[in-house]
This record gives sequence, structure tokens and C-alpha cells, in this order.
Amino acid sequence: MASGPTNQTSDQTSQAKGSNPLSLARILPIFVPTALLLAAVILPANMFQSDQTASKIGLGPAAWPDAMLEGMAFFSFLWIARDLWVLGDVRRKLTLSLPIEDTHYHFGKAISGLGLIICYGWLLPILGFALATALFIAIWCLSAGLRNLLVVIPVSLIGTTALMWLFMGLALMPLPRGSGAFDNLSIWLLRATGIY
Amino acid sequence: MAAFDLLGSGFVAAFEFWAFMTIVVGLLVGVVAGALPGISFVNAMAMALPFTYVMEPTQSMLFLGGIYVGGVFGGSISAILINVPGTPASLPATWDGYPMTKRGEAKRALTISVTSSATGGLVSALVLAFLSAPFASFALKFSQPEFFAATFLGLASVIAIAKDRPVITMVSLLLGIVIGTVGVDPLYGQARFSFGVPEMESGIRFVVVMIGLFAIGEVVDLLATNRDLRPKKTDGKAIGASFRDILKVKGAIARGTGLGCLIGMIPGAGATPGAVIAYGIEKQVSKRGKDFGTGIDEGLAAPEAAKNATTGAAMVPLLTLGIPGSAATAIMLAAMMLHGVSPGPLLFIMDPTMVYTIFAAMIIANILMIFAGIGVAQLFSTLMKTPPAILGAFIIVLSVVGAFGVRNNIFDVYVCLAFGVLGWGMKRIGFPTAPLVLGVILGPLAERYFLTSMANAKQDWTVFFTRPISATILGLALIFILWSLAPNIKSLMVKKK
Repeated sequence: MASGPTNQTSDQTSQAKGSNPLSLARILPIFVPTALLLAAVILPANMFQSDQTASKIGLGPAAWPDAMLEGMAFFSFLWIARDLWVLGDVRRKLTLSLPIEDTHYHFGKAISGLGLIICYGWLLPILGFALATALFIAIWCLSAGLRNLLVVIPVSLIGTTALMWLFMGLALMPLPRGSGAFDNLSIWLLRATGIY
Repeated sequence: MAAFDLLGSGFVAAFEFWAFMTIVVGLLVGVVAGALPGISFVNAMAMALPFTYVMEPTQSMLFLGGIYVGGVFGGSISAILINVPGTPASLPATWDGYPMTKRGEAKRALTISVTSSATGGLVSALVLAFLSAPFASFALKFSQPEFFAATFLGLASVIAIAKDRPVITMVSLLLGIVIGTVGVDPLYGQARFSFGVPEMESGIRFVVVMIGLFAIGEVVDLLATNRDLRPKKTDGKAIGASFRDILKVKGAIARGTGLGCLIGMIPGAGATPGAVIAYGIEKQVSKRGKDFGTGIDEGLAAPEAAKNATTGAAMVPLLTLGIPGSAATAIMLAAMMLHGVSPGPLLFIMDPTMVYTIFAAMIIANILMIFAGIGVAQLFSTLMKTPPAILGAFIIVLSVVGAFGVRNNIFDVYVCLAFGVLGWGMKRIGFPTAPLVLGVILGPLAERYFLTSMANAKQDWTVFFTRPISATILGLALIFILWSLAPNIKSLMVKKK
């Protein structure tokens, strides 16, 4: 899953490839200001729901966001103009580039980590806080290289119980209990741990 | 002389056993709550409010005051150790504090932070005790245009952290302000950018954005780089800050404290603009300004001093005018009202003992904060010895709980995760996240003050320039922008030649 370490910034990559100033690695960063410019142009028309019209009293509710979007469009345009000027010469640096410090970055691990976090958020209302958290902690530890199950399982179970105590017991936070059978399971767990 | 006598009697009352214990407990609650991302000391103060029912009015203020002082500092612990600001005002602590942690100097960063915070808070408490009256009459001159100007100054200070990239910084800031406009607008009650999603109508909370952008991206990077955050040791001792190190940043602490005191007494401004402006000014003043953002002592000390210096100053308008300048002081006002105490000029005449006991308690709380802060920071620092795999898992769970806890709503968790992915992507391509967060925090305030100022002035925009204080602050903001951009302009002119 994990990809090999990468130690090149987008600028360095294009420079390493030689003289082509219009390589994909150099053109890609321009998509960011272009997308922002497009968003700034499109969003004002979609500010209110179709059945609503903006109040006409005073400046109205659209004035402030409109002004900010116009500002964003202006600065995005400046950004694009600068980067287009940069593309003319391979020695010039684009506005966006990867941080220099990242010499050994495993993108595969990062993407799988993000996927795991998103799955945790998605499963939270389905499985409930207790089950989803215990599973998440265990899987995260395993994927991060902690393979000793005698450490992973207690950390996951004791950690989840401590968090349930702190947030559901002490702070009375109504964290999700899950749906259907998982709701009953969560209630049983909360009773078993003395929180309910 | 009367002020000294009254303060003396205030100290006697504050040093009584139960009063003193109340300050200590409040302080510890504040430091821990501030250090937990998403919980925040304001939430802790709100949760503590019912407990004050059974207390005497003075005791309740000591308790809440302790949480306030401790909480404002506590936010920096998580900012320095895991790059997640516990409170918005701790945002600048991530810029120079976290790089120090990455170098294995967490203990040193925490020592500088707690010393600067305590100094700022202490001076601010003394200001509160001796200069309340003249400051109160000055604060009374502030209205919506002045609040807007102060918030604008806070937004303008973002240019100082631009790191030679003012255009991209402006895009990030404006994007943040636009995100802050999602939901029902403050004056007309119409929902914007809700796209038919009912949850979007109540807006996107800055805490959720902050947790997502900073915590999730950082933990994913921790996983992808196998970075070790454990404190490094030299000659068997963890790298700490000596008294000489603190003396070296005395100028930064003094400037931060002065700014914090001034900004803190402006109702509505609060600790966040105070800390950000102090960082921006320090970046310009310091000889090492160009290296700010890489773990420079002055870059940490100045905003830390400023944010705690706002605590005492923010209580000036509360106690002298009955105007709460922030969410925290609003809860304190509520506690006073619950006990039948009405803050204002009459309070100084009717119950001076209570007022001066609060002043004394603020001074005591700031001195005690050094010990409480170091103790709690030590505890959190020990947590850093945990293997990164376990640490990362718990940061994510705490972040998700923190996002959920803002409104007890699963939608906020989804928003937090979306910003987590966005934050990670922004970091990967070098798009600055700090201006975006600042825009989400200060944008809604700026909009509210701007629209109400315009409505009060019958849509005459010159109101911001015809009022002397507002015009002065806006002038300062302009000078600050030009001052920050001067090196860029100079380098452009040199290139042209």
C-alpha cells in the first residue's frame, strides 16, 4: 500500500526532467488558483436557495460575501498571471511547491490514513462511539506499524473506556450510540461500565 | 493610596483557604480544558457556571477567573506539542512553538510560553487593579466602527505572516472569510451558501475548521513521515529554557504585553487579534523576523504574552462598564447577574472589597499559573513519549469528539473531516492554512461590525474615517500593511534596476 519515499518538490521534478517548462508537474499548481477564480465567479449566483431573494434593505446579506469573493477573484487572477509568467522560464519558481522538509513522504500511507479517518467518521453514527473508536484505534495502530497485539488490544479497549468515561460520563456529551442493534450494544456497554 | 489599601484587603480575602483553593481548582480546570482541542476554556466556563450557584458571588468570580486565566494559556500546550491550537488565540503558538517541538525542544517551548503568558497576565492584572477607571472611560468611546477597525487590524496582521507570498496569503484569508459567511447572516437573517443542507444554515464553526485543518493533516503527516516527536536529550537532560533565554526575549514579552493590554480592553477584540497582531509586529521588529515560523523564541514569546495580557484588560470594560468584551467575560457577567451583582461604576462604590478581591485573585492566578502550567505541560510532555501510532490515533479521536462537542452534531464531524482532507492537501502543495483559519475566526466578526456600522450611519462608509479612534486604527492597519510589504517592494525595485 505504501508508496516509496519521494524527495522531490514539484519544481525540482520539472527541473530534473530538463528543459520543458510546460511539464505536467509545473502546470498542475496553476489549477488551484484557476479553481478558486472559477469558484469566486460562480458562487455569487448560488449564494441563496432558488426560492429566496436577497433582502434589498441597506447593503443586503450578499454585500459582504460578494466583496470577499471579488477580492478572492482579483488575487487569484494575480496569482494565475504570475504563474503564467513563471511558466515562460524554467528557472523561475511557481507560487505553490511542496514543503522542502518532506524528504521521505509515504503518500500511500497518507492516503490510507485519510481513508481510515473518513471511514471512522462515517461509521461513528452507525456503529456508535464505543465500537467505532475501539476499532479505529486498533486498526490505526496496526497500520502505523505497531504490530504487538498485546499492546494494541489493551490500548484500544482501555483508551475507549477512558474516553467514554470522560466525555459521556463526566462531560455528559451525547456521543453517537449507533443505530439498530449497535444502539442496544452501546447501551449495554454504557451500563456495564457504570456510565448509565 | 486607597487603591493600595483596597488591593491589600483583596489579597487577604483571596488568600483565605477556600478562596485560594477555588482559584487553584479553577486554574487547573482552565489549563486542562484549554489544552484539549475542541473542549476550550469557554466551554469549561459554561459547564462550570451551574457549580457557581452554590458559591458566594466573590468565590464564583474567583473560580471563573481562574478558569479564564488558565484556559487562555492552556490552549498553547496542545498548539506547541501537537500543532493543534486548543483555543483560537493559541494559533500563533503553532507557528514557532511547534517547529521547536519538531526539533525536540518541546520543554523549552513550553517554558518560554508559560513564562511569557504569566508575565503578560500579571502585568494585565496590575493594569486592571490600578488603571481601570481611565481605561474604562476610553473604552466607552468605542462603538461598532471602532470594533470593525480593530478586527480589520487583526485581519491586516496576516500580511506579516505572508512569508514573501502576499498574494497567496490574501487568497487564503479571503477564502477563510468566505467560509465564515456560510449560514444565516448576522443582520438580515437570510441563509447563504447553504445549498439546501439544513445544517449549513447554522454556519461553519471556526473550532471545527481549526481542528480539521490542523489536527487531521498533522496526524496523517505523522503517519506518512514516521516523525518522532519525543523530546530530545542533550547530556542526559531534556532541552529546556534557562533564565538567560527568558531574559533574551524580554523585549518581545514587553511588546506583547503592552499590545495585549491595549487590545484586550477593546470590547469584542479579545485574545485572538491580540496574539496575531503581536506576532506580526514582533516579526517586523525582531532581528530574526525573517526566520519566524521556524521555531524562533521571540515569535513564541510575543503572542503568548499578548494573549494572556488580554485577560485582565478584558475585565476592565466588564467590571467598570458592565460590557463583556468576549464570550468568557460574558459568562462571568452571567455569573455576577445570577448572584444579583450588577457590574458597573457603582460596583466600585457599593462593594469595593469584592472588586479588589477579584483583582487580587487575577494577580495570584497568574503567578500560580507558572506552577500549574509547568505541571500540566509536564504531564502533556510525558504523553509525547507515547509511540506516534498510539498518539496519532488518540489525537484523531479527540479531534472528532471535539468537533462533535461544538454543537453535539455529527454534521460538524463531517465538516471537520472535510477540512482535514483539505488541510492535508493544502499542506502538500504549500498553500498556507493559517490565514484561512484567521479569516474564518475574524471574518464573521468583521462582517457584523461592518454591517451594523453601515446601518447606523445610514450606509455612509465615511463613518470609518470620520471617527478619530476608528480612523487612527485603520491608519495603523495601513501603516502595518506597508511596513510588512516593504521588503517585498524593495526587492521588486532592486530586480527592476
